[in-house]
Amino acid sequence: MLSSWSFYISTLVVYFGVDALSGISLNLQYGYAGVVNFGFIVFQAVGAYVAAAVTLGPSGGVSAFQHYVFGASLPFPLPLVLATAAGAVLAAFVGLFSLRRIRRDYQAAVLLVVSLIAFQVVEADVPLFNGSNGLVGVPRPLQSVLGLSLQGYQWVYAGWVMVLCAVVYVLVRWLSRSTWGRALRAMRDQEDAAAGIGLNITALRMQVFILGGAIAGLSGGLLVEFIGAWSPDAWTYAETFVIFTAIFVGGVSNYRGVLLGVLLVPIVFLQVPQFLPQIGYPGLTDSLQWMIIGLVWMLCLLWRPQGILPERRNLAPAYLTAESA
Amino acid sequence: MGTLLSAIAFGLILASVIAIAGMGFTLQFGLTNVLNLSFGAVMTVGGFAAYLARDHGVSAWYGLAIGGAVGAVVTLAIGRGLFRLYARRGAQLLEMIMVTLGLGLVINYAIQAISRNNIYQFNVLQSAPLHLGAVTITPTQAILIGIAVVVFVGLEAVLRLTKIGTALRAMAAEPSLARSCGIRTGRVVIITWLLSGFLCGMAGVVYIINSQSVGYATGELFLPLVIAAALLGGAGSPAGAVAAAIVMGVVTEVVSAYGGPQFSTAAGFGILVLVLICRPRAVLGDRGRETRLTL
Repeated sequence: MLSSWSFYISTLVVYFGVDALSGISLNLQYGYAGVVNFGFIVFQAVGAYVAAAVTLGPSGGVSAFQHYVFGASLPFPLPLVLATAAGAVLAAFVGLFSLRRIRRDYQAAVLLVVSLIAFQVVEADVPLFNGSNGLVGVPRPLQSVLGLSLQGYQWVYAGWVMVLCAVVYVLVRWLSRSTWGRALRAMRDQEDAAAGIGLNITALRMQVFILGGAIAGLSGGLLVEFIGAWSPDAWTYAETFVIFTAIFVGGVSNYRGVLLGVLLVPIVFLQVPQFLPQIGYPGLTDSLQWMIIGLVWMLCLLWRPQGILPERRNLAPAYLTAESA
Repeated sequence: MGTLLSAIAFGLILASVIAIAGMGFTLQFGLTNVLNLSFGAVMTVGGFAAYLARDHGVSAWYGLAIGGAVGAVVTLAIGRGLFRLYARRGAQLLEMIMVTLGLGLVINYAIQAISRNNIYQFNVLQSAPLHLGAVTITPTQAILIGIAVVVFVGLEAVLRLTKIGTALRAMAAEPSLARSCGIRTGRVVIITWLLSGFLCGMAGVVYIINSQSVGYATGELFLPLVIAAALLGGAGSPAGAVAAAIVMGVVTEVVSAYGGPQFSTAAGFGILVLVLICRPRAVLGDRGRETRLTL
């Protein structure tokens, strides 16, 4: 009993870390730069697929029952590095056509369509990433080298995710408070004025999009190396809105709020129903959960768009006094 | 040659479905400036309404009117009730698109819950196929193309020849000026929601007549093509939506015939991507003008 709890909680810690990385990435893009990335989950998905493919070995070898591209068996940190790079490269490609200076609602719609289309293509094109069955049997990194019990390994992995999460958190927070971060917020609030003082809007948007894509790719790589499988069911367009809802509940443009939101929405809200007795037919709970995610998001927009912990707006004056002193 | 002609014919059939949905979408978008991402979900609602009606012995062709009517009522309720509530609280373009998407999620998964996540057959009685040279299509498909043509001509006639159509076009062009000229803008907005909702629900029924099945994801799968057609054709222009629908329908089916069906929708979207890269102005129009929600 005790060990199964330990197993469950360590798993939740990993999920929290992965969702926190997603939340940080999306908050950087939406909360700071005002880019409404409705296709966020695609960048996590590409990271996961790439990390899985470069760990599984050449396609047609041991895992001849599944087809994929980029097959290789690279040692431990490399799949994660490639997953991060894959997220960044895909973001650069998508950004090329979606990040022009266009109405932001057009931009959001185009990114949503990217998400829907990517899903249809990957699901239908089996040679790419094994279609709707997805990739399975991804080995856990260093499991044989470390020689730990399953229990111990779970906690080591959870710790590793937490360390990466903390590094990204500190890095992104520092970036958000730098000159670059202030430029992002200027762009978000007054795009024309920001362009007027000489900021290159398209370049800024592209940078934030690529950085966010890289973090998303990393989160996907971390997730797939832990759960060992990845298929289109894991990244339907609706998954993006779990993260969106989380940052709206916790607090847009406030990283502490984002962590709170991630704890409340994907972890507590999506996990608790597992302990409740099943209602109706199998699958009804899932549908209801998704409905409630949509409702919570709409209610947040109606009543408290700034979230539980609102953005702290005193950064600029503090900076000015520091400069003049 | 036969393959190409067949692909083009199937492209026109697909185009007629995209066109009906696209005209509804672009009408709504052009007048209210709400980029309504719950459009696909309402299409599914219309489709299920027709399915339920047929279950009670109503013909699939009457289902078109029933689906349309349900779509109109639902769209009016969300447009006039929900979206306006948000607009009054200060929601602007960006917040509104999030609201529409959240609503889309709610409707979609409500349908999933009610339909038990099943896909239901929607067969229309088939008669002997028609042979037009190298191309073979069913009479049902021919009727669908006919419906799209009738809807297009009818919509253009309403917009150009009637008083309410003139008012609608005036409001799409300049809402405040239209109001000061004495146009009852509230009434025009209501008519827009009803009209676009009717087209939306009807498109859902046309879609399921063509694909012969209905499930909770029906509209969502179709939404990319509708959005792409509306953006490509220009906001508020039924003729543009129809032209874009024909281009996308034909490209989708030709790619499907030669390059594999998995890339068909992506190819349709690829056209929008190309235009966004090469000639963004063609899609986006004049950026200088301030756009506001009109609800």
